[in-house]
Amino acid sequence: MKKPDVKIVLLGDMNVGKTSLLHRYMERRFQETVSTVGGAFYLKQWRSYNISIWDTAGREQFHGLGSMYCRGATAIILTYDVNHLQSLVELEDRFLSLTDTASTDCLFAIVGNKIDLTDEGDAEGGAEGLKEQGKALSGRARASRRVRLDDAVALYKKILKYRMLDEKEVPAAEEMCFETSAKTGYNVDHVFETLFDMVVPIILRQRAEGPSQTVDITNYKPVKRTQSRCCD
Amino acid sequence: MMNIKAFRLVSAIERELLMGDKDHINIECIECCGKNLYVGTNDCFIYHFLLEEKMSPTGKVAFSATKQRHKYLAFKKPVNELKAASALNRLLVLCDNTIALVNMMNLEPIPSGARIKGAVTFALNENPVSVDPFCVEVCIISVKRRTIQMYLVYEDRVQIVKEVSTSEQPFAVAVDGHFLCLALTTQYIILNYNTGASQDLFPYCSEERQPIVKRIGRKEFLLAGPGGLGMFATVDGISQRAPVHWSENVIGAAICFPYVIALDDEFITVHSMLDQQRKQTLPFKEGHILQDFEGRVIVATSKGVYILVPLPLERQIQDLLASQRVEEALVLAKGARRNIPKEKFQVMYRRILQQAGFIQFAQLQFLEAKELFRSGQLDVRELISLYPFLLPTTSSFTRSHPPLHEYADLNQLTQGDQEKMTKCKRFLMSYLNEVRSTEVANGYKEDIDTALLKLYAEADHESLLDLLVTENFCLLTDSVAWLEKHKKYFALGLLYHYNGQDAAAVQLWVNIVNGEIHDSTRSDLYEYIVDFLTYCLDQELVWKYAEWVLQKSEEVGVQIFTKRPLEEQQKNNFNPDDIINCLKKYPKSIIKYLEHLVVDRKVQKEEYHTHLAILYLEKVLQQKPSANGNCAEVTETQAKLRSLLQKSDLYRVHCLIDKIQGTSLHMESAILHGKLEEHDKALHILVHELKDFSAARDYCLWSSQGRDAPYRRRLFHMLLSIYLEPGPSACDLALAAVDLLNLHAAEFDAARVLELVPDGWSVQLLAPFLTRALRESLHTRRMTQAALGLASSENLLYKHDKIKLKGSPVRLSDKKLCQMCESPFCEPAFVRYPNGGVVHTHCAASRHTNPSSSSPGSRT
Ligand SMILES: Nc1nc2c(ncn2[C@@H]2O[C@H](COP(=O)(O)OP(=O)(O)O)[C@@H](O)[C@H]2O)c(=O)[nH]1
Ligand SMILES: [Mg+2]
Repeated sequence: MKKPDVKIVLLGDMNVGKTSLLHRYMERRFQETVSTVGGAFYLKQWRSYNISIWDTAGREQFHGLGSMYCRGATAIILTYDVNHLQSLVELEDRFLSLTDTASTDCLFAIVGNKIDLTDEGDAEGGAEGLKEQGKALSGRARASRRVRLDDAVALYKKILKYRMLDEKEVPAAEEMCFETSAKTGYNVDHVFETLFDMVVPIILRQRAEGPSQTVDITNYKPVKRTQSRCCD
Repeated sequence: MMNIKAFRLVSAIERELLMGDKDHINIECIECCGKNLYVGTNDCFIYHFLLEEKMSPTGKVAFSATKQRHKYLAFKKPVNELKAASALNRLLVLCDNTIALVNMMNLEPIPSGARIKGAVTFALNENPVSVDPFCVEVCIISVKRRTIQMYLVYEDRVQIVKEVSTSEQPFAVAVDGHFLCLALTTQYIILNYNTGASQDLFPYCSEERQPIVKRIGRKEFLLAGPGGLGMFATVDGISQRAPVHWSENVIGAAICFPYVIALDDEFITVHSMLDQQRKQTLPFKEGHILQDFEGRVIVATSKGVYILVPLPLERQIQDLLASQRVEEALVLAKGARRNIPKEKFQVMYRRILQQAGFIQFAQLQFLEAKELFRSGQLDVRELISLYPFLLPTTSSFTRSHPPLHEYADLNQLTQGDQEKMTKCKRFLMSYLNEVRSTEVANGYKEDIDTALLKLYAEADHESLLDLLVTENFCLLTDSVAWLEKHKKYFALGLLYHYNGQDAAAVQLWVNIVNGEIHDSTRSDLYEYIVDFLTYCLDQELVWKYAEWVLQKSEEVGVQIFTKRPLEEQQKNNFNPDDIINCLKKYPKSIIKYLEHLVVDRKVQKEEYHTHLAILYLEKVLQQKPSANGNCAEVTETQAKLRSLLQKSDLYRVHCLIDKIQGTSLHMESAILHGKLEEHDKALHILVHELKDFSAARDYCLWSSQGRDAPYRRRLFHMLLSIYLEPGPSACDLALAAVDLLNLHAAEFDAARVLELVPDGWSVQLLAPFLTRALRESLHTRRMTQAALGLASSENLLYKHDKIKLKGSPVRLSDKKLCQMCESPFCEPAFVRYPNGGVVHTHCAASRHTNPSSSSPGSRT
């Protein structure tokens, strides 16, 4: 078995579409899923790195397993259903505490799934939608959407507070809040691949720091925060 | 969920052997170490059996156990646990909260009586910390509340190493190195007994369900989780494998790679660790023990002991493949990698990939099939051989044995479904086309290309031609027969050509054009043949088909001679005279060919020029009477004739004049006379016969091209005189003369003209001419005056210089040296340059003849 270099965990209430998202990304299709029992994981080869992605069970019954799955995670994808505000609330109430075991510099992404079920479909959303939110919100366009992207952005900022992270040190909320549809595939690759790209420098840093591992000097690159804008 | 047969349940110890008819005796625990099988009972007995593995005649594994001895421990309590420490030759027996050591062979207690007291349960450290081989590490859950103790157990003594207390009461333990994996009342934890550091794993309610803690390998444990999950956890507190899903009431778990086996009150279930799926379910009632001992899995009820015999992995994989479960088979095979020697594994795995590929292929899952064939490094001929008749008859290929699939051929596979058949063929085409240039093709290039040719030909695929015109390895005999069968004669020609048999190729194509055989691949086959012959290096072949080609079309056919590649022409392989000889019968062709020689190649040979001129002439004459002069073609040939007559200086003029006499080709005869410098005659013809004044004027212009001005002036005057000659049409001519003068004033000498023109002409008539002439003469005069002025002023300058020079005398002494040769003057004669330099006369002379010598200064 290939040893994963890094772990990414999907968290979120049951039925928000975690399994479907992962399935869409890995198998390139959408099909009816069965409720996840306990957890499942995939290995994804990204460049020369092996990334394990854990799909967890949102069911209350398996809630206790979450901490273990998150232990040492390098990135966590908090998933909610854009049509159910409660699923976003749950992320804060139930799931956030599970991430205590994740590594200290763990990245967080917040993904609102099932965007295809909202009125405006997948026409926009994601970062683009965010930039235009001021405009769009004033119109009637988003009226039927239960969860707005800026709710997710607000949660992201809460998470940073919770984790006692400096906003300037980590990727901006705009970069880390996504809206997707596992059904149409909208934005799905983008979520995963954005994270993968952010995770690679962390792998390199871990390798450089890891005491037991041999350090490949030829591969070594000084680790730099990807976020180094002068003002934010 | 589809099942797979991974294990067979085989009885190991018959009930009678153990307890005869005493119904109250129950099996409490078992231990197996090599061939030694121990059973502990509720009535405080230990039984020792020797387990023999036998192969039944049908190839199935069976076991027979022979009882060695039994021992009563005299506690009147059940024997709770048995663990063998073979290095010490000791059996650890937990009974009545005490772990006693007995001899493994005779079951006698050790003389020292060493024992561990106060143990609820215990575990051996299978990854010991100590390096002493004659010592085992034992961890006990103490009867003391919330207490764990570590012991070192030697042959005849025990030693406590550590005692740690836990936050809650522990119920089950497993050990790996310094790490304890513990089931506490409400959760599982990892505890480092050396440092005391503990790590929560996940919550679990031990009151609802019996916890399971099972070490499954280095630093990894299997735990019973909530909702009937079999959870994996490492000593670092993380999960590296996804959980397996058991029933809620599992009571035991064991590992037999790559399977996790679990026992509940009704079934033994088998899950794969590789894909977490349940693979097998064996009904098994009243089981209460499930354990693995060095890879051997034993289950027991309270009355009997059974062994789960794994089926060989290869068998399992083959079973999976046989039921088309490709994905699982591959996962299982991959998972077996570390259990099988590398070489053997690779061979096996490759074969499995290939088999899997054929399964996908048969389901028309071509994309998947292709990938499997590729990664399995399939000998392409295996695939080709499925298609009837595709492999060359000469191929020595035989399919691998045992076969990779069950199909005799494509007909069987598709059951005659034409649509499927077509799809399969299309797949093979694209597959072969892809691999033919890769290393997969090495050694089989003939087979691949020949098969491809056959497929293309059969499917009428356009790539057939591409295949044949690029590098290929199609076998000739096979391909010929196939192409003939499918009437791909044009392609067959290409094949012959590729194999150096141009004659056969051309013959075939000619037959197609002649309609003797039918193949509509190319509608322009005739042109193709012409082109082919044009570039054909085989002269004999070109000659052989020259007549045929020319008969078909004189104009196109002649290209075999006129369009030959330049390099070849330079080597002069074909003798033009031979060609001309051959072309005699084909008037159009011969003209084209001569044009090629004269115009394109600019061959400077009198015969060709004369011949061409005569042919033009004949053609013009031939056409003249019929079309009466004005059809386009006539003009075209005539134009060519004129152009040739004008431009060439090589043809025999007299010969042509002879031929042209008495015809109406005045212009031409004018040109011919012109060639002979008989301008007067020429102009007469143009003016009197042709009455074409502009032609006459043009004649003056082109005839004088490249000559000096007086020559041209002579011609123009000649023309003017002709116009002014008295005669019947003097009036027309007079007008022509006026036009000529007015339009070409510059070409005339005005004074002479004025002498020539009749006195009666008005000034007005010649006004333009006169104006031009006047202006011209005025201009000339002024220019001359200007030149004169300039010249006299230059003259003055020289005079001035001269006077200046004369002003100062030149002294010559024997000290003075010549500026050129730098030797003294010996004679009085010298040359003095305007800038004052003085040289010998001979030096000055040599300076003019020898420009390279340095000049002492000059002024002109
Ligand atoms: N319309 C729509 N349905 C989705 C989408 N993602 C998941 N679903 C459906 O939502 C249900 C729950 O999905 P699942 O992936 O099992 O959620 P999980 O419990 O978070 O793993 C399933 O019926 C999916 O088909 C989506 O993007 N759009
Ligand atoms: Mg799920």
